[in-house]
Amino acid sequence: MRRGSIAANVFFFSALWLVAALAATAFLLTELYSRALDDGLVESLEFDIESLVGVSLTDGAGNLSGATLSDPRFQRPASGWYWEVRDAGGSAASFSGSLVGSILPETAPISPAQNPQISALKDGFGTRLRVVKRRISVAGSQFDFIVTGNLDEIYAQVDSFRGQTLVVLGAVGAMLAAMSALVARFALRPVTRLRNALERVREGDAETVEGTYPSELAPLADELNELLRSNIQIIERARSQVGNLAHGLKTPIAVLRNESDGRKTALARIVAEQSDKMSDLVSTYLDRARLAARTTLVGKKADTGTVLTRLVRVLEKIHKDKSLTLVLPPGGTPWFRGEEGDLEEIVGNLLDNACKWAKSDVQLTAEPLRDNTAGLRIVIADDGPGLSEEGMSAALKRGVRLDEKTPGSGLGLDIVKELVDVYGGKLEMGRASLGGLEVAIDLPAARARAD
Amino acid sequence: MRILVVEDDENLNRQIKEALEDADYVVDVAFDGEEGHFLGDTEPYDAVILDIGLPQMDGLSVLEAWRRDGRTTPVLLLTARDRWSDKVQGIDTGADDYVAKPFHMEEVLARVRALVRRAAGLASNEIVAGQIRLDVRGGRVTVDGQAVKLTAHEFRLLSYLMHHKGKVVSRTELTEHMYDQDFDRDSNTIEVFVGRLRRKLPDDCIKTVRGLGYQIDGD
Repeated sequence: MRRGSIAANVFFFSALWLVAALAATAFLLTELYSRALDDGLVESLEFDIESLVGVSLTDGAGNLSGATLSDPRFQRPASGWYWEVRDAGGSAASFSGSLVGSILPETAPISPAQNPQISALKDGFGTRLRVVKRRISVAGSQFDFIVTGNLDEIYAQVDSFRGQTLVVLGAVGAMLAAMSALVARFALRPVTRLRNALERVREGDAETVEGTYPSELAPLADELNELLRSNIQIIERARSQVGNLAHGLKTPIAVLRNESDGRKTALARIVAEQSDKMSDLVSTYLDRARLAARTTLVGKKADTGTVLTRLVRVLEKIHKDKSLTLVLPPGGTPWFRGEEGDLEEIVGNLLDNACKWAKSDVQLTAEPLRDNTAGLRIVIADDGPGLSEEGMSAALKRGVRLDEKTPGSGLGLDIVKELVDVYGGKLEMGRASLGGLEVAIDLPAARARAD
Repeated sequence: MRILVVEDDENLNRQIKEALEDADYVVDVAFDGEEGHFLGDTEPYDAVILDIGLPQMDGLSVLEAWRRDGRTTPVLLLTARDRWSDKVQGIDTGADDYVAKPFHMEEVLARVRALVRRAAGLASNEIVAGQIRLDVRGGRVTVDGQAVKLTAHEFRLLSYLMHHKGKVVSRTELTEHMYDQDFDRDSNTIEVFVGRLRRKLPDDCIKTVRGLGYQIDGD
């Protein structure tokens, strides 16, 4: 499923592009700088030639022995800064002090189209030279004026410039790369939000993907919500069909059961047996379907006080000869964190059992749990015969789930236990002060009426 | 005691009717909501067994209509839906009790007995008037501990009078509660049965209140 990372890809490609762009920039800058230096050198050498020619002309006779240039570099031996004046025969008429007697290597003969001629040479010391050569007629005779400048000095300057440029551009590049990594991460934050929102749906903390998303992700969030909605619809439809089937079966089962009741034939016995089995299956799978449909409990809460009051009212009507007492805490009853129907199912079944067994009195109490957990304790007590220790442990036996239950266990306790489990609650039994059975259940509480 | 059974499943309807008749009740039946509503509206029943899922008019609507019109006949709801929210809805609509399908017939009989008894303001299954004891559950009558054999009609008559002991019960009322709707009400059979009952019971226990009807003393 996982292949590559958008953030890493963004970073990688932007870094690659940056390195290329910065390298090209460095190359271009160095090249321009080097060319500018070279151009400056050539220009100053041409100026030097003009000075030399000027000196020669002031002499007036074509005698060049007195020619000189004021720049001291032309006097420093082997400085790479040389000048030479050659007559038409090619012999040196005059030369700079820096040449210390040697003669510059010959260069290509000058053509009228290229005057002055610019070229490069190496002197006897291996120094690279920029050479400007100009052919000028002085007093009727032709002379080649040659002036050279030290090209190595320029190359050294270019090298140092290149070094500095690389340092600066490298720093800029690193900063830009770090920036692009940050931008990639920042730009992808809504993806993380979307993932968290979806996770909340899966955990049952939300029913839909919530929040606003940028235009690239909003359609994805909408699609997810559509998918969730249609899934819920499909489940609902399937559930209601299962419900219809199961409820529809109950009347025929009742008919079969009644028809076989009180008859002694083998057929009647089989019909009675099988209709009991069918009845158990129907109620077991209805209960399981209800439990399985419980995908999200979040945000669901029920007013405990109202539910208990309602149940007491109903059971008082059904069990007219029993007296039901409802005790609610004076400071308000904590709300139940879950579905109202589930609380009704849990308390209704337990209370109905209590009313069936009670001699006359049933007490229903609700209170906040005394420890720090956000909990709700509901206690149902009666003055009936109660249960023995073995009876209680059998009734409370853990791990007996609806799908494994033995037929006809019948106290409605299975669904109660299952529901209490679903909510991570606790169910205890003991002897009531009224004399009969006391059942205590701990359930999660919601913040009362908060929203 | 006269009971109305409103249930659209013909087999179940017949079974309930037979079981009730075996327990000496007089039974009328209806197979849809409208017919059931009409009967309950016009005939004086001692209890009604009402299915919720009915054609034409569902059981809860029938019940609601009766209660709106001030009919207080005890109603036992039959339903396949057995969640507590359904029970709450049924009871809040005005039902007196609730049996979830599939039920055992004894369960329905016990509930009907309790409803009739409660409607008469009696706390137990045994009604005592002087020397006469009537066990509603077993359908037995004893006088000073001696069992008395009664026919079905005699038992129904005595049972109705005992359920309303201390009150004067008119002949019409007795006819209405002892026979189903097709019975010819003009006959004098009530007098005949009262005469037979008097012969089997201690003297003067059934009084004739001239022009009004019959009465069994409260104590």
